Amino acid sequence: MATSTSSAPAPSRPRQHRETGPGVNFGRVMKSEWIKVTTVPSTVILIVSTVVVMVGLAALFAWSLTMMAQSINDPSVPAEFRTPTEGPGSPGFQALTTPSSGLAFGQLLIASLAVVLIASEWTTGMIRSTMVAVPKRVPALLAKTVIIAVVAFVVGFVSALVSYLVAQPILRGENLDFALSEDGVLASVINTGTFLALVAVISMSIGILLRNTAGGVVTAVGIFFVLPIIVQLLSGIADWIPDAARFLPADAGEQMVAVEVAEDALTQWQGGLVMAAWALVLLVIALVVAKKRDV
Amino acid sequence: MIEAQALSKRYGAKAAVDAVSFTVQPGRVTGFLGPNGAGKSTTMRMIVGLDNPSGGHVTVNGKPYAQHKAPLREVGALLDAKAVHTKRSAYNHLRAMAATHGIPNSRVKDVIELTGLGPVAKKRVGGFSLGMGQRLGIAAALLGDPHTVILDEPVNGLDPEGVQWVRHLAKGLAAEGRTVFLSSHLMSEMALTADHLIVIGRGRIIADAPIQSIIDGQGRARVRVRADRPQDLLASLAGEGVTSQVLEPELIEITGVDARRIAEVALRDRVLVYELTPLQVSLEDAYMQLTQTEVEYHSHSLPDASEAVAPLEGR
Repeated sequence: MATSTSSAPAPSRPRQHRETGPGVNFGRVMKSEWIKVTTVPSTVILIVSTVVVMVGLAALFAWSLTMMAQSINDPSVPAEFRTPTEGPGSPGFQALTTPSSGLAFGQLLIASLAVVLIASEWTTGMIRSTMVAVPKRVPALLAKTVIIAVVAFVVGFVSALVSYLVAQPILRGENLDFALSEDGVLASVINTGTFLALVAVISMSIGILLRNTAGGVVTAVGIFFVLPIIVQLLSGIADWIPDAARFLPADAGEQMVAVEVAEDALTQWQGGLVMAAWALVLLVIALVVAKKRDV
Repeated sequence: MIEAQALSKRYGAKAAVDAVSFTVQPGRVTGFLGPNGAGKSTTMRMIVGLDNPSGGHVTVNGKPYAQHKAPLREVGALLDAKAVHTKRSAYNHLRAMAATHGIPNSRVKDVIELTGLGPVAKKRVGGFSLGMGQRLGIAAALLGDPHTVILDEPVNGLDPEGVQWVRHLAKGLAAEGRTVFLSSHLMSEMALTADHLIVIGRGRIIADAPIQSIIDGQGRARVRVRADRPQDLLASLAGEGVTSQVLEPELIEITGVDARRIAEVALRDRVLVYELTPLQVSLEDAYMQLTQTEVEYHSHSLPDASEAVAPLEGR
């Protein structure tokens, strides 16, 4: 690679020690982190595919509900296999969950995105540049966390809203369509965003602690997908296990998007607070560790 | 100005940097010289707060690095050329760094021009050669127009033109009154660039002096002499603590006195001298003598098991 270099540095001038120009503040660090997030192509690709996949899943779910509704009136299906026409299992009821139906997949992608964004700082060595520019460290990590959380919220909210809009024409064929103003629907749409924001914060914290992309993704997926399954398998051993399981981040978070709350389950608010507590505790641990550790 | 006081870094039982104290003054190029694994990079990482010292402290322009309101305007550091996200372009990397201090994009473009990165600035850093990576690291170091510039092995991977450019840059920055602290394991490079040397080996400071005095102090005067009666000459000099080596019947090398003293003795004793050559001690020789006992990884002889510890530098 041929290069030409300006031969001499800036012309000589006397230098006295003085404070020059603006310094570091949180707003500037946010701007820097925003530039970093938007200038790596994989981030943009991952965000767009999350929206596409979540909306696609919701459309598929809506379509499957219309199939179900058709089968209710199908005389060839024996009565005991028919879907109930009333109550939680009915297509009309399930239709209300369409906006958040892509959440499981969305959470997988957002968790991966958050881990990749933070862990790549260490795997590429970028973290040394970051920490030299912001030697107090916490503002840089916090700014990145805020940005990813906001991006995750927007991804979740927009996906749920678009899912709602895309699902209505499909559902209308079987008179399953519904208004945003119906009980709990709008809250469920907003909380799809909130849930993903909290997933992002938890995943970022894991990424900061592990400093390793593969390990971080595996751990995050483990917490959100594998842990609930393990706990469910163990739930026969003792009564307290299913009780405690409600407070796992994945289980609590799921309640946030519930349209109707079962009797012994956490409410939307309770679920949200439990998950937020997980996120906050993990974030504080991650920041304290990152502040003390050698880069 | 950089001031280190009893600065230490231990990894387990092993001290990578062992209670070093030194001051790097503004207005001159200070070379930080030592064999691989001597503790140069660790020391530099502690200066900018990437590593926490196990003991002692270090300040830059009077304060610990992390306590400056605008650290990049105080200190510009090239610690390793690979401190960049490989998928990002050089321009965006510098823009992100600059944003933390509200440094305008015009300055980003200036340092790109200054370091000759123009043609590749919009390309992904992942495809850069080592030399281009070094230039990007230097560009990042200069972003804040800092009072103090720290460059760890800046000429690594540079072509001869680049090496010369770094040399001029370092001298130019020092001439402007800035503090320039430059590490290398290449003595020859230091001889050309540095005004002052801090030599480190096995985590300890071996020498801290102007470059000329290191050459003078370490290499004892050595003189090649051709004379018709060398043994008589040596006998007369015997009282002055000299050592000698007879190379040919009429050719000897005398260490310990300078050429003028030999000429005086020869004149007095009427010994015919037909060559009298002071042998220049190179900085390389001086360095080898200084670090002889301090080199951690000798290239000969297998280390015994307890010594075979992986180098802690360059993590």
